Amino acid sequence: MTTASAPETTFLDPSVLARIGNLELLARTVVEGFINGLHRAPHLGSSTDFAEHRAYMPGDDVRRIDWRLYARSDRHFIKEYEADTNTNFVVVLDVSPSMRYGALEGGQRLSKLTYGCFLAACLAYFSSLQRDRIGLVTIDHDIVDYVPPSGKHLQLILHTLDRVERAGRDAKAAPGQSTLLAPLQKLSESLRRRSMMVLISDLYEDPDDVVKALSHMRGRGNDMVVFHLLDPRELDFTFADSSNFIDMETGVKMPVIPEYLRKQYRDLVAAHTAELARRIGGARADYSLFDTSKPLDKALFAYLAARQRFSRVR
Amino acid sequence: MNFLAPAFLAGLAAIAVPVLIHLIHRERKAVVEFPSLMFLQRIPYRSVRRQKIRHLLLLILRCIAIALLVAAFARPFFQRRQTAVGTTGAREVVILLDNSASMGYGHRWDRARDAAKKVVASLSPSDHGTLILFASEATVANDPTAPPDRINAALATAKLSSEATKFAPALKLASQIITASTLPRREVVLISDYQKIGWANHNEIGFPQGTVVTPVDLGGGASPNIAVAQVTTSRDSTGVRDHVTVAARLINTGTDPKSVSATLSVGGRDVQTQKVDVPASGAQQVAFTSIAVPSGATKGVVRISADSLTQDDELNFTIAPDEAVPVLIIEPTNPRANQSLYLSRALSIGDRPSFRVDEKSADALTPRDFDGRALVVLDEVTPPNGAVGERLRAAVASGAGLVIVPGSSRVEAWPAEWRAILPAMVGTTVDRTGDAGGTMSSLDYANPIFELFNAPRSGDFSMARFYRYRALSPVSGAAVPARFDDGSPALVEKADGAGKVLMWASTLDSYWTNLPLQPVFLPFVHQLGKDVGRYADPRPSFLAGDVLDLSRHGELTAPYTSGRGADSTSELTLEAPSGARDRVTATGPNHLVTLKEQGFYELRGPTTPTGSGRPIAVNVDPAESDLSHVDPQDIVAAVTAVNGQHAPGDLNAATPQDQEQRQKLWWYLLAAALLLLGAETALSNRLSKAAG
Repeated sequence: MTTASAPETTFLDPSVLARIGNLELLARTVVEGFINGLHRAPHLGSSTDFAEHRAYMPGDDVRRIDWRLYARSDRHFIKEYEADTNTNFVVVLDVSPSMRYGALEGGQRLSKLTYGCFLAACLAYFSSLQRDRIGLVTIDHDIVDYVPPSGKHLQLILHTLDRVERAGRDAKAAPGQSTLLAPLQKLSESLRRRSMMVLISDLYEDPDDVVKALSHMRGRGNDMVVFHLLDPRELDFTFADSSNFIDMETGVKMPVIPEYLRKQYRDLVAAHTAELARRIGGARADYSLFDTSKPLDKALFAYLAARQRFSRVR
Repeated sequence: MNFLAPAFLAGLAAIAVPVLIHLIHRERKAVVEFPSLMFLQRIPYRSVRRQKIRHLLLLILRCIAIALLVAAFARPFFQRRQTAVGTTGAREVVILLDNSASMGYGHRWDRARDAAKKVVASLSPSDHGTLILFASEATVANDPTAPPDRINAALATAKLSSEATKFAPALKLASQIITASTLPRREVVLISDYQKIGWANHNEIGFPQGTVVTPVDLGGGASPNIAVAQVTTSRDSTGVRDHVTVAARLINTGTDPKSVSATLSVGGRDVQTQKVDVPASGAQQVAFTSIAVPSGATKGVVRISADSLTQDDELNFTIAPDEAVPVLIIEPTNPRANQSLYLSRALSIGDRPSFRVDEKSADALTPRDFDGRALVVLDEVTPPNGAVGERLRAAVASGAGLVIVPGSSRVEAWPAEWRAILPAMVGTTVDRTGDAGGTMSSLDYANPIFELFNAPRSGDFSMARFYRYRALSPVSGAAVPARFDDGSPALVEKADGAGKVLMWASTLDSYWTNLPLQPVFLPFVHQLGKDVGRYADPRPSFLAGDVLDLSRHGELTAPYTSGRGADSTSELTLEAPSGARDRVTATGPNHLVTLKEQGFYELRGPTTPTGSGRPIAVNVDPAESDLSHVDPQDIVAAVTAVNGQHAPGDLNAATPQDQEQRQKLWWYLLAAALLLLGAETALSNRLSKAAG
């Protein structure tokens, strides 16, 4: 079962969504449209799916006997269903300054943070529709905001996301300091239940650090989905003029003539993402790379695909 | 390296412009926030560094281009001091020997020749020597390859001239010889008394680089001198015989007052002698009592007692009886009463010039009547035909003047052969009696006839009324010096050969006009007579070096040509005081002659015996009496100046301008700057294209 066959035209342009001021409205627009689309999709993701048959044991509810099977086999079998998920769903959103990159004037393109917020809102809304307990953690070298998972926290999460988007932060991190390691470690310690965790970040980290941070979570039985957000310019490095580049995280300046560095840069980024995909996959987490110019619901498909995969692997 | 225009070097400050542009460009380099330099920092720094160097190359290109441009404008040149040149090898020696009149002071001339001989003696067989004698003009006495004894021979025959000192022509000639020379050592020896009046700084005279100019100064020190500077003669014609009063002006350039005797000599005889005290550094006028004007042109001399400079101790002049302008007025056979009276009376008044007027009836004319006439007036007479007419036309062609007054004569009856020389066609009679007469309104004051009346209150023609006149239509080539108020010509003139033909529209008596009754008539007629009769004031004396134009001094040649007529091109002899003879003519090819010698020239006709010709007085330029001295080093410095600095005996003579002109470094610098700018454009284009 794949999730990537929905027609491209049904996707919503993030820049159009950005005009919707209300995050809830935005999330509903995306998710409901998406679910409507799903009805026509060849698969149904459902938590009440049939799981297996087992022999009838005295005391079982006779209503759960599969009478059709009895008619064929003259034995009593009980139909077992997947229990309703009702799991913890936690969105971990990287709000470090580097995530604020990418906004273009006139709202033609969103910053990675805005895109991440939209994505988080959509995922939270989507999960709340499924009665999951939803939580939000924003991190920036440490935990910034923490909304504990709960079935009633959708409004709080949306509010927090809204605030995140508006807040700013100066670049002051020390070079080489990991954004993920410390907060994820803290988080894994605080979460009691196994959770479905979505990490939205640009992952400017050493892959070793990323995997190390994820392995903490994985070690506690959490399912991990990593959404790697990158602006198209971060991927292609399509700058023209020689300029002074300032690291948004550390504030370090560097004169750069893009034309001479472009190829090497692209190679390095490609190597980095490939390494991340390989290492994160190896850590049994799911990794998806997103270009912020791509429609938002594509990310949702990716999420669903991942969730599907996790539901198979028990 | 030197610069001709070093002020332009201030333009080097412009180099700051590209540097600033590069700096500002760097400053303005866009600051781009980027999520993480993680990857960029991993890229080896080498590649970034290489970019900087390439931009530095652009900066260096721009700076060098600007520096080259500025240097080109500053006109650089290399100062070449060819001190090695001129120390060995054969010499080109030019000896400039001053033989002007002032060199006759004391023993200067002998000393000058001795100095020249010494220079000649120092010439080795491989040397070239040239002797240049100079006064107001410079002449080469020998050719440069002549052996020293030829130069000595030229020196022995060299004589003092009567001309004034002028250094410029001699230095120019020497400069040409030196420039043309191929010998390695070049020397100029300037032997002179260094008279101040002979020197004016001529920037254009300069000797080539390496020329040694050696001054030999024979002047200097106190040079007291008394000279006869000027003689004036004033005539008195009131008595029975003309008298002339001679006055002389003596000047003393010395610092002590002097007492001298001044003698007036006329016709070779001393007439009067006076004792005169001339103050120090001053002048004194001496007037001799008047003497009767001798018949014929006579030599006159004012002489003072001899001093160190004898040439200016006498001043020659000529006293000539007044040369009357011979005028012939031709009347019709039956003239009106007093028809020529106004004209003849007006002409006979006055003495400068006086007019000798003869009147003749048209029917009594003979061809001989025109001999020696300067002016012929046809007063309402039909121009004569036949031999008489032919003779008259010939006289006009060779310089005589003809005034034609048509008046009421019948023009149709005029001979056809006169048409060619008439200045205007004569038309009908214009009658202005109805409107109280016309006036002469348009006068050409540039014309010699009316020149005199140009000054304010110097003749009023507006009072004259013209009741009748003939309508004249000027032919091509004719000038109209005066017109009536209705625009028709009053006076038309036309040159014919050497003479002039003039036509007057009205009459010259009071028949048609009241002009003869106006005060302006007399000066008008005199001017007309002088102009058409080609009269020139006689000059009592000339200066040595003057060019005598015999065609302008008819009074000199008149006695030897049979009138101002056909024989004016016949050969005359002009004998100089030294006895040298020149063949000259009154007009024609040989009418110009340079008067070089002091004394009396004698102009003789083909048949005139020696000694009874027309004397022409020639004197030394009075300026030559001023023996003020100029520092020889001033002249040497001026002709050998380099960079405006004087270097005595310096071998450099080429000016910085010359050196710069020769080297033309600016051209190469400019070309290099343009090449660099081209390279800069190509490079920056490439860079910006790559960046875009």
